[in-house]
Order: sequence, then C-alpha cells, then structure tokens
Amino acid sequence: MPLSAEDVKALRRQWRLSRVLVAPVSLVVAAVARFYFKYRLDENIEALRADIWAKLDQHDGPVIWAANHLTLIDSFLVFWAIFPTRRLLEDRRIPWSTPEYTNYYKLGGPMQSALLRGLLYLCRCIPFLRGGEDAASETWRQKAFDKCAWVLREGGSVFVYPEAGRSRSGWLEPKRPKDFLGKLALEVPASKFLCVYLRSERQIATTACPPKGDRLRVVAELVNGALPGESNPRDISQRLFDRLASMQQEWWKGSDMARNCAGNDVVDLKGPLLRENFSDDLSAADQEWLERHLTKRELESLQSLGPASLFRGFWRFFCAKEACHKALGRAVIVVPNGAFHEIEVDLFRRKATHIPTGLQLDIRFTDDDEDKLHCVAVLRGGYIGDDETEGDILWTVGEVPAGTSPGAFVRDLAVDFIASTNDEIGTSSRLALTENSGLPGVLWRGAAQDWSLSLSHSGRFAAASFMIS
Amino acid sequence: MAFMRKQAVVAAVDLNTITPEDAQSRITAGVKKYATNEANYAAADANTPYLGHIVGMGIESSNLADITMSIERQFLTTMTARVPLSEGSSEYKLAAGELGKLRILDGQDALAATPGLSVKMLMDLGHMPKNDAYLEKVMSFAYVMATGDGWKMADALKKMAGKAEKLAGSERAEALVNLKTLVAQAQAYDALLADPSKLAASKAAGYQNDKSGFEALNSELALTLDKIKGVSAGGDAAALAKFRGEEAEIRTRLKMSAAKLRVSQEVSEAAGLRRKVEDKTVAEVRAALKDSAALAETLS
Repeated sequence: MPLSAEDVKALRRQWRLSRVLVAPVSLVVAAVARFYFKYRLDENIEALRADIWAKLDQHDGPVIWAANHLTLIDSFLVFWAIFPTRRLLEDRRIPWSTPEYTNYYKLGGPMQSALLRGLLYLCRCIPFLRGGEDAASETWRQKAFDKCAWVLREGGSVFVYPEAGRSRSGWLEPKRPKDFLGKLALEVPASKFLCVYLRSERQIATTACPPKGDRLRVVAELVNGALPGESNPRDISQRLFDRLASMQQEWWKGSDMARNCAGNDVVDLKGPLLRENFSDDLSAADQEWLERHLTKRELESLQSLGPASLFRGFWRFFCAKEACHKALGRAVIVVPNGAFHEIEVDLFRRKATHIPTGLQLDIRFTDDDEDKLHCVAVLRGGYIGDDETEGDILWTVGEVPAGTSPGAFVRDLAVDFIASTNDEIGTSSRLALTENSGLPGVLWRGAAQDWSLSLSHSGRFAAASFMIS
Repeated sequence: MAFMRKQAVVAAVDLNTITPEDAQSRITAGVKKYATNEANYAAADANTPYLGHIVGMGIESSNLADITMSIERQFLTTMTARVPLSEGSSEYKLAAGELGKLRILDGQDALAATPGLSVKMLMDLGHMPKNDAYLEKVMSFAYVMATGDGWKMADALKKMAGKAEKLAGSERAEALVNLKTLVAQAQAYDALLADPSKLAASKAAGYQNDKSGFEALNSELALTLDKIKGVSAGGDAAALAKFRGEEAEIRTRLKMSAAKLRVSQEVSEAAGLRRKVEDKTVAEVRAALKDSAALAETLS
C-alpha cells in the first residue's frame, strides 16, 4: 500500500524539522546517560565505532539498525554508543525510530504528553502499534511499515527491534524469528543491517532502564540485507537473528554472569509423602495446602483440569516451579525456599514467570508417565527444544538402586551422562563435580564449565540436566 | 470432605505458655516423618537444617509447605486479629486478638531453615515472647546457608579425591588437574569463611542485585502511572483497564520484590556479624575444608 502524497509530505517535513534538533538532542542524550544514569561505555568503544563507520562509509545505501531489546531506553543507549558526535551532520545515517505507541505517546498529563510527543516527533519517531488484531491496528502497522520503507528508499536509516518488544527472558532467542525485518529488507534490497547487541553488565531481566552506574558493553556488525536469490522474509530474518545470536554469544564471553541458566526437577509420583494432602482416590486435596503452593491463576487452572487430573496436575505445577527455581538460581536470582508463589507456571503455554523480576522461563516435561514427572526449565543460554526441534538442554532420568544414597547416585549419573554425550570427554573420570554458592558445577581440564548442571532426586528417581549451547 | 493428613493428631498449645526449647522440640518432632536422613534427624538441634543430606535432616523440597503447616497445627497464638493492609484490601497482617490457631502468612517463613530459626520466626512475628538467651544459640540464616555451602564443597572435594585415588595413568593425571581446581576453590572458600567482612561483601552482591531489581520495578510503576494519567484524559476505557491491570501486576511484583530484598538485606548484614554460636560451626566447616584439601594434596 503506497503512502499518500500527504503522508510523504508529512514525513519530509518531520525529517527537515528534526535536522535542527539533531545536535542538541544527541548531546542531551549523551549527557543524561553519562551524568544522570552514570553509565560508562566499554573501553573498546572507539575501536568498535571506527570499525563500524569504516564499513558504513563503504556502503552508500540505506541502513536498518537492528538491536536486542531489554530496556525502555535502549534506542538512546544504542545511538549514544554507536554514533560519534563528529558524525552528527551525516543526516541520512541518523536513524528513524519505531517506538510502541501505547508506551510512549500517552504518558502523563496533557502538558507532559504534548512535550513528549513533540520530542518524539523531532527525534524522527514513527509510532508503532504492536497489539491489536482488528483492521484499524493492521492498517496502522502497514502504514508504519510503509513509512519505514519510504525512509529507506530515500537513503535513510531506520531503527527496529527484531524481537518486536523487550525480551521477557533477557535472552534473544534465534529460534523464534519475526518476519518484519526480512520484509523490510526485501522491500528495500539496497539496505544493510547494522546489528547491535548492547547490554549493561548487571542487566539480568527486562527493566525500564539498566542499573545506574553500570558499564555498557556493545558488539556491533554491518550485515548484508537481502542477498541475491533470497525471496522469503523468514529466511532473511532467520539469518539476521542467527547473526544477532552469535553477537550475543560474543557479549556473554566477556561477562561474569553465567550465560546458561537452566534447571530440572524430578517427582516420584508413587512417593507416599506426595499423597498425604490428597484424598485416598486423589480426586480432591486440602485447599489450604494447595494455596500454599499455587497462585490464584494456577489454582484456577488446576481446578479446570478436573478431579481425575488433580494429583498429577498439582505435581506438574510443583515440578515446573522447582526446575525454574534452579534455573533462576544460576542467574543469581534466589527464590527463597518455600516461596512457591514467586514463580507462576502456565502449563498450557509452557512458560513460567518469576513474579518479582518478571522474567519468563520456558518449561518442558521430558518424562510424564504413571511413575514420574521430569521437567526442565530454561531461562537463557539456549533453546529448550520441542517435539520437532532439538534443544540445547540434555537430560537423563534414572532409577536409584536400592541401598544407594540418592545424592551420591545423582552425581555419578550426571558425570557419566555428560561424558557419554561428548566424544572428546569420553570418560567420566575426566570430569569433577564442584559446588559453588549451593549450585552444582562441572570441572573439565581443571576449568569450571558454563553448562548449568542441575541435579534432582525424588523417591526412586534421580535426574540430571545440563546445557550444551 | 475430610482430609486425613495421615499424621497423628496433636493437641495445640499456646505459644505463650511454653519455653522456646519446648517449641523447638515440638517443631522438630513435627517434621520427623519427612526427614529422610535418620542419623542427622536423631542428632538434630536448633541449628540442623531441614533440607540437605550432609548435615541436614534430608527433608525434600516437596515437603517444605508441610513443615510450616505442621508448625501451625501444633501451636495457638493470640496474634489472630486480621488487619487489612489497606482499605478494601484482601491482604492482611495479624495483630493481637483472641487465642486461636497460629497462621504463618505467605513469605513469613522464608528464613525458617532450621528449628531454631522457626522459633525465631515465631518470636519475630510476636507469637511468643522474645528470648535473647535462646536466640544466642540460634545460627543466623546467613550462616546456615554459608556453612551449608562449605559442607557441600568439602564433601565434593573428599569424594573427588577418593575417586582420583583409584585411577591410574592419563585418567589420574586429568583427574588431578580437576582436583587442583577443587582444592583452590576450597581454600578460597575457607579464606572467605575466615573473614566475616569478606563473607558479608560476597553476600552484598546478591543484595545489590535485588536492590537494583526493586528500583527498576519502581521505575516501571512510575511509568505505568504516567500511562494511566495519559489515557485517563482521553476516555479510552480499554486502554485504561489494560494499564490498571499492568499497575496491579507491578504492585504485586513490588511486594514480592520488597520481601526478597528484606531477605537478602538480612543475609548480607548477618554475614558480617558473626556470633559465638556461628564461630563453632564455621570452625568445623573450615576444618572439614582443610582436611579435604589436605587429603587431595597427598595425591600426585
């Protein structure tokens, strides 16, 4: 759908007016970031800028900025990190932004809202409406897309978040690409992607802004847009997401935080202590006891399963919560023992939310039979996998031999299993288990491995999981 | 429908009529059926963790709520009057009232990792009189966790040394490389336990994480309130309802985040304030770490 002459005229007017404010706005952004938030850029930022701009200088065409998204001020931070002040006169390199309309355009009272709208207008913003499936919302989205394409055709730059929103797990997941950027690249084949992965050192979850005083580290690269022969938007988006994912890996190599954060839990459904708060036929349970474990939403979901599934349903919730508890622990998010309400599980969507931080985890039941349940949870570091696609987490469930300590057995099970999955390791004697801040870890060749080992045992069963991403 | 919790029926006693020691022994007796490490359970005192197998009672996390409910069943309290936290709120706190069933509210048991800490929780919440002499014998939650980690580390090192001893050739050489790292970790942890200020500094990182999370949530709330203000004028009922829902969600998150912050703050502060009762256990853990390291160093 082509833009009307009026739309084009309005965009040209916005472009002209925004030129006036480029320098002062950029300086204010830098000053606020540096002096109010006290953010620091990585020491190698000048080298990174030099590299990126050398490549940009060789590309005369339009540029689509594509960055990961964790905070509400990411656009400003990415601009501050990548765009040197001395280049501010290179008008067509200054990107147009695509903020979510409901987040930014109706903030505060009439005065504040009007001021903000004015500022967004002068900062070259094209408001997006991500929610809504009605015709009006669809039309809005199409028009915003057309405006972006127009800017690119004019040789300009557009800033888009490929994930279409802030990542709720704090992790960019390449297995779930969105088509928007692929479509845009096909629409304007001369475009290149400027991929940016920016994150502050202590940024764990999705927040309004990074923690004050934090250091921001950046990985950036100029990537080809639509390649000759590429005609499917999904293929282009997938290539872009894979590129961003490898930059994400690069970022995490320099981080003190554990990249891989996963957990597991096994439940022996025949364990007698698991049944004591249920009626003999397991079709009803002590309401107070259920309420101690489950949130209101979970309770409603459990009730909807019906009496025949009450017992198994409850333990599925429990098993998922325990797996999430361990995955969160890896990210130094301690869920106090017994604080079951802090994690809310949605069995249907296979998601769990850590309520205090809002972090979302993926969950997956790998074993779900008459005897046992085994659940794995992944916060970040890789893909959890499903019935069709292999994930980045491996697991094993075994029966504890009679007379054996389950704690010792699960540790042996874990190292044997890890060794069996990697030809280079070959034998478990090359591995050692360690304990750090109450979490199990693996040593190989004397070095701690970021594999997010998780151990669990319950009654007759023991289980271990680890990540291979 | 009657639910048989399959436990013996116990007559609940008024917490104001018994000693802390009596409360402790009743609490310990109440969790017997969940303890899977019989030896540790039999020798349990105020500072024996409910969870864990090395020094703990071996209670599984699936029975954590049962511990709290077992405590509730055994005691009566005068803190029974429900006072709403705010007007019209379904959430409440407990205040002095008629003698009745003990109720431990959501999150109040977050630090009750041992029988002694459960008694401390009852005192802190006003269910029984504070007894400083008793509390002197109760290890803080921070030290229960810190020493627990030390026991696990010493145990892992000892087991690895035992395994390496049986190996030969290149396998033994590779195992010894790992063992060397484990020894270094044990020695580093020993040094950490030796200095309360260092231990406090290590716990402060967790507190700082929680604090920045709490601050970030407050920023999110301020932003959502701004959004509500913005759409209120326009009369967009659907958007208003959406943002009101967002506000309620953030407030719930803030409440939990504040509770979490209190726990990490207490852990961070208590780690720097080591008392006599903690000195003894810390010394035992440090000795175990040193013994395991010495055993590992004899291998070559």
